[in-house]
Parts: sequence; structure tokens; C-alpha cells
Amino acid sequence: MLRWLATAAIAGLLLLDLALPSLDIGRRGSEAALRSDVPHAVGRVGERLPDFTLPDLDGTPVRLADLRGHPVLITFERSVDW
Amino acid sequence: MPPVAGGYAPGVSSPSALRPYAWLCGSVGTLMVVAGLLLFVSFIGYHAPNSDPRIPTGPVGFYFVAFSGCALLGWGGSLLATARQPGAGRGIGTATAFALVLSAVYRMLGWVVGDYYAFAGELLRVEAGIFLLLALAFLWLRPARETVTA
Repeated sequence: MLRWLATAAIAGLLLLDLALPSLDIGRRGSEAALRSDVPHAVGRVGERLPDFTLPDLDGTPVRLADLRGHPVLITFERSVDW
Repeated sequence: MPPVAGGYAPGVSSPSALRPYAWLCGSVGTLMVVAGLLLFVSFIGYHAPNSDPRIPTGPVGFYFVAFSGCALLGWGGSLLATARQPGAGRGIGTATAFALVLSAVYRMLGWVVGDYYAFAGELLRVEAGIFLLLALAFLWLRPARETVTA
């Protein structure tokens, strides 16, 4: 009896695993950036970024508007030093 | 246990019936030992000068990678021992099935969370499916509760 219960539970998980892509749950990598319901999301692809100021590696503030006219590459990285 | 005509009482696994279970334990155990060795060696490799680790994590991450390697070596070794004496290894089959289900569940959660999807993509779901199928195999191929230990 217990073995059949365990089998049913595992089979249910297998079905869930297969169905995950068709369910509208979770965030999947770059798809999350395109979703409008992501909290605190600013801007969309193709829109102008709002101006912001961030410190560079030396701590000097850098304002986006000051770079107008120059090519700007913005990258977002998550520290892996843990 | 009283002797039974034919050698095996109802619910008792015969040696030939245990062959698939022994093969399953042997093959999965071998893979676990190899994976455990690789994880342990990766910890040493991370601390070598000018290393270029393939696993994107830091010292704390590699600490747990090494621990996972050691655990896999022990787990795989137990499965290899069971492959030699499958009739005495019902419990390891149950425990392995349980741990495989847990491994599948956290991969599925990782897929949903998204951070891990960026790193491993659909591999998370594929691995979860394989682990669940293996759990079913361990559940159904393990020996019956009573075994002949002549």
C-alpha cells in the first residue's frame, strides 16, 4: 500500500515536471526581464532609460546623463564570491 | 523462517529476481562515486594557483561542493556494496528513492525560481525527470521485506 502511495506521489511529480513549461509560474532567466509584472522593473526593451547615478569601482559617482553622446554598455552581474 | 517448497516463501525475492536491482545499484553507485570524486577534486582544483573553476561559485560554494562529493562517495559506495549483496539492501533502495525524489523537487523549484534556470536551463527539468524515474526503479526493484539469506 505504501509503495503504491509513493508511486502515485512520484508519478504526480513527474507529470508536474513535464507540465512546468506550460504553467505560468516562476521566473525563467531573461523572460523575467520582459515581464511587466516584475516588481521594481523600470523601462522596457526599446524604451529610453531613466537617468541614474551609480558609483564606479573607485567610488566616484557616475551619472548616465553625463555619458550622453558616448557609447554606453551597461551590464548587470551578480557576485559569485560566496 | 521455516523451509518452503521451492526454496522461497511468498514475498521473498529469489536471487534471479534481484539481478535488476543489483544492476541498478551497481550502475547508479558507480556514477555517484565518479561524480563524488570529480566534485572533491574540483575543490582542490579551485585552490590551485591561477585556477579557472568551471563551477561559478566561490570558497563557500566549493566548501559545500567538496562536502557533496564526500557524501556521494559514501552513498555510491553503499550502493556498490548493495550490488554485491542485493538481498540485504532493501533499506538503501528506499533511502535512495527518497533522496532522489528530494533531488528532483529542488531542481524543479530551481527551475521555477529562475536564478538556476539562467545557469542550467532545461537541464534542471531533465535531471528531475531522470531522478524521479530512477526513484520509481529503486522503489519497485528493491527486494521484498523478507529475504532468504542462506
